[in-house]
Amino acid sequence: MSTISLHDTHNHDNHDDHGHHKETFLTKYIFSQDHKMIAKQFLITGIIMAVIAMGLSILFRIQLAWPDKNFPILETFLGEWAAGGRIKPDFYLALVTIHGTIMVFFVLTAGLSGTFSNLLIPLQLGARDMASPFLNMLSYWFFFSACVIMMSSFFIQTGPASAGWTIYPPLSALPTAIKGSGMGMTLWLISMVLFVASSLMGGINYVSTVLNMRTKGMDLWKMPLTIWAFFLTATLGILSFPVLVAGVVLLVFDRSFGTSFYLSDIVMGTQVLPNEGGSPILWQHLFWFLGHPEVYIVIMPALGISSEIISVNSRKPIFGYHAMVYSLIGITILSFIVWGHHMFITGMNPLLGGVFMITTLIIAVPSAVKTFNYLATLWRGNIRFTPAMLFAIGLVSFFISGGLTGIFLGNAALDINLHDTYFVVAHFHLVMGSAAIFGMLAGVYHWFPKMFGRMMSNKLGYLHFWLTFISAYLVFFPLHFLGLDGVPRRYYAFTEFEFMQKWLTVNVFVTWSAIMGALAQVAFLWNFFYSIFKGKRAPQNPWEANTLEWTAPVEHLHGNWPGEIPTVYRWPYDYSKPGAEEDFIPQTIPFSQTMSSNMPHDFEGNSESERIQREWEEQEAAAKKAKLD
Amino acid sequence: MVQSIKQEELGIQFKAKKFIIWLFVVSSTIMFGGWTSYYIVFSASKGKGHGIVLPELFIYSTVVLLVSSAFLFLASKAFKNGNYSSQKLFLSITILLGITFGVLQVDAWGSMVRTGAFFSNNNAAISLIYVVSGFHILHIFAGICLVFSALMGAYKEIPLQRRIYRMEIASIFWHFIDILWIYLYVFLLLNS
Repeated sequence: MSTISLHDTHNHDNHDDHGHHKETFLTKYIFSQDHKMIAKQFLITGIIMAVIAMGLSILFRIQLAWPDKNFPILETFLGEWAAGGRIKPDFYLALVTIHGTIMVFFVLTAGLSGTFSNLLIPLQLGARDMASPFLNMLSYWFFFSACVIMMSSFFIQTGPASAGWTIYPPLSALPTAIKGSGMGMTLWLISMVLFVASSLMGGINYVSTVLNMRTKGMDLWKMPLTIWAFFLTATLGILSFPVLVAGVVLLVFDRSFGTSFYLSDIVMGTQVLPNEGGSPILWQHLFWFLGHPEVYIVIMPALGISSEIISVNSRKPIFGYHAMVYSLIGITILSFIVWGHHMFITGMNPLLGGVFMITTLIIAVPSAVKTFNYLATLWRGNIRFTPAMLFAIGLVSFFISGGLTGIFLGNAALDINLHDTYFVVAHFHLVMGSAAIFGMLAGVYHWFPKMFGRMMSNKLGYLHFWLTFISAYLVFFPLHFLGLDGVPRRYYAFTEFEFMQKWLTVNVFVTWSAIMGALAQVAFLWNFFYSIFKGKRAPQNPWEANTLEWTAPVEHLHGNWPGEIPTVYRWPYDYSKPGAEEDFIPQTIPFSQTMSSNMPHDFEGNSESERIQREWEEQEAAAKKAKLD
Repeated sequence: MVQSIKQEELGIQFKAKKFIIWLFVVSSTIMFGGWTSYYIVFSASKGKGHGIVLPELFIYSTVVLLVSSAFLFLASKAFKNGNYSSQKLFLSITILLGITFGVLQVDAWGSMVRTGAFFSNNNAAISLIYVVSGFHILHIFAGICLVFSALMGAYKEIPLQRRIYRMEIASIFWHFIDILWIYLYVFLLLNS
């Protein structure tokens, strides 16, 4: 016996996964390998990046609303880039590029998946930590370095990358094409390689944890929908991000080593470039093979989070649990065969365009299944309007209103008119931008007690929700009409084109709405950072939810549960079950303790349990009868 | 009882980590898949492939890599039979063959350069030969590190469970890069 235990401690010390050794400041807060701390690191970094990217958007919104006005204060802050108080065209392009890059990758991919996958996968599955805590830590630090490098491009003379977040060549492949194609582009590429490495390390870890480290009783069909969403998101990332790396590597060689992967027949000024034979369209293929799954990497975690929150706060089981899972799987698979709808106007063979159009429109089916299931879950629920719930409902609203325009854009014939107009901008800002950020905010409000052991203020939460919700619609709804009128995106000054001038007043309105939306975030930031230190102490299970994370102690432990890991007996959505004492039954309660509420289908055909239940019911009936007599 | 629970959790931990290597294999395959798809679309639209005779050295390097895989297999087998000294020997041979492979690949590049098939080329298909073989060498380097860690584990006689784990991930990864190279080589042969 003693040899076994010795051997075991030996293993344990070497390996250190849920060790009992002393933690220093450095290992606890900086190079932490605890998934809960890494989640917080991702969240706070993500919030900081979101604030920066939002600030950038306000800057270019000011330019769009008042293209002829001077704002001397801009020169004070931006110096040369806003000489005379007006943002320069070069810098305008850099602003939209970096805004898009940060929002899509750094906030809604790393900030969203990084935070909630890290926090919830081990906690909701009943695991001590991730499959590889070390890789997890590395994932955060790669992400952090990517953020720093991306931001550092604001401090070089030629400014940040300016070719748009999709960095199409030749703008991105020729360092001398525009200002932003130089050093800024190089930094963009380095930053993105680090980012992809971070995402892959994270994603691989999430998938391995979900498949291998579930607690006893937690089979796949007992997992909360959050976990299903994170799992499929991570799978998507593993299958699509490597293609972006492949594309970026070729782009780097084109930039710096004189290859011609994407370049052909280019004249710069009077000089004919030697590159021949490449094709920029090939970049678009490689990019969008990642790029389209990427938008589902952004939205699926948000969908999973809102499934959980809507069910908890409607006090009802999620409507169509299996349908929800299958539609997530459907979205995952379909997302790989729709990338061509970004390229309808690249001279694509119309037949191929037709195929991509059909696959794109089919993806509306699982998306609609999810939407209807959210609505059916809300239907006649015992709804608790917590801030998290409001944001989750907001997500459903944006997902519908933004999803509908996706059907327009997925149509190859309509896309000829709408491509690269503000219609596209409006579409993806609603369905991917607003919906995903609302899912993320819902998650923050819901799991804040789990992360920090304290509650956020509800009042500030309501204020934050209503202002953000209203201003998001005020910003993005009018943009549809600009797009229908043919106004192209990324244009610097609407005063330069006769047909765009009539939209200037709309731009002023949109900019004021955006400023209102940005100011609303102050309510959130104050609420978030104040509550970390001074918020009300959180109870064990503040939302009366069923999932496992609420059985873990409020005080964080490395290893999550002090004793044995809890066993799971039931699915996570037993809310308002008829016959139950309370309106929720946590996953850790065995059926033997809830005899009065068990249903025949709970036993999944296990005849022994059915027999016990039947006997109990007969006994109950007999006792009742005896009482009556 | 407590010990056995911990032991069980530790076992799950190793299983999960081994799975990480498999997932890495998947994502790496997809990266190379990205390049070969680029090649297919490129050559279909231009109506031409790389159009050169691949250096003979690639044949030798392929053989070397295959033999190295065989030696790694022998090392695993020796390890399972408890024959630790031949395990160490075979692992060392694997590493040496891996290094030889890398050298041969670089020589092959040299011979391509001598025939005028430069990396920076107006035929992107030729550049792509360098890209895929170059990134494959990076994988070989990573593979050598993994085999080396298995070898070190054998020398330091770390706990058996961890030695098994190191042997397993080294094997998964090394056989993967072996198959990967064969795929790339055959692909380049067929699509000239």
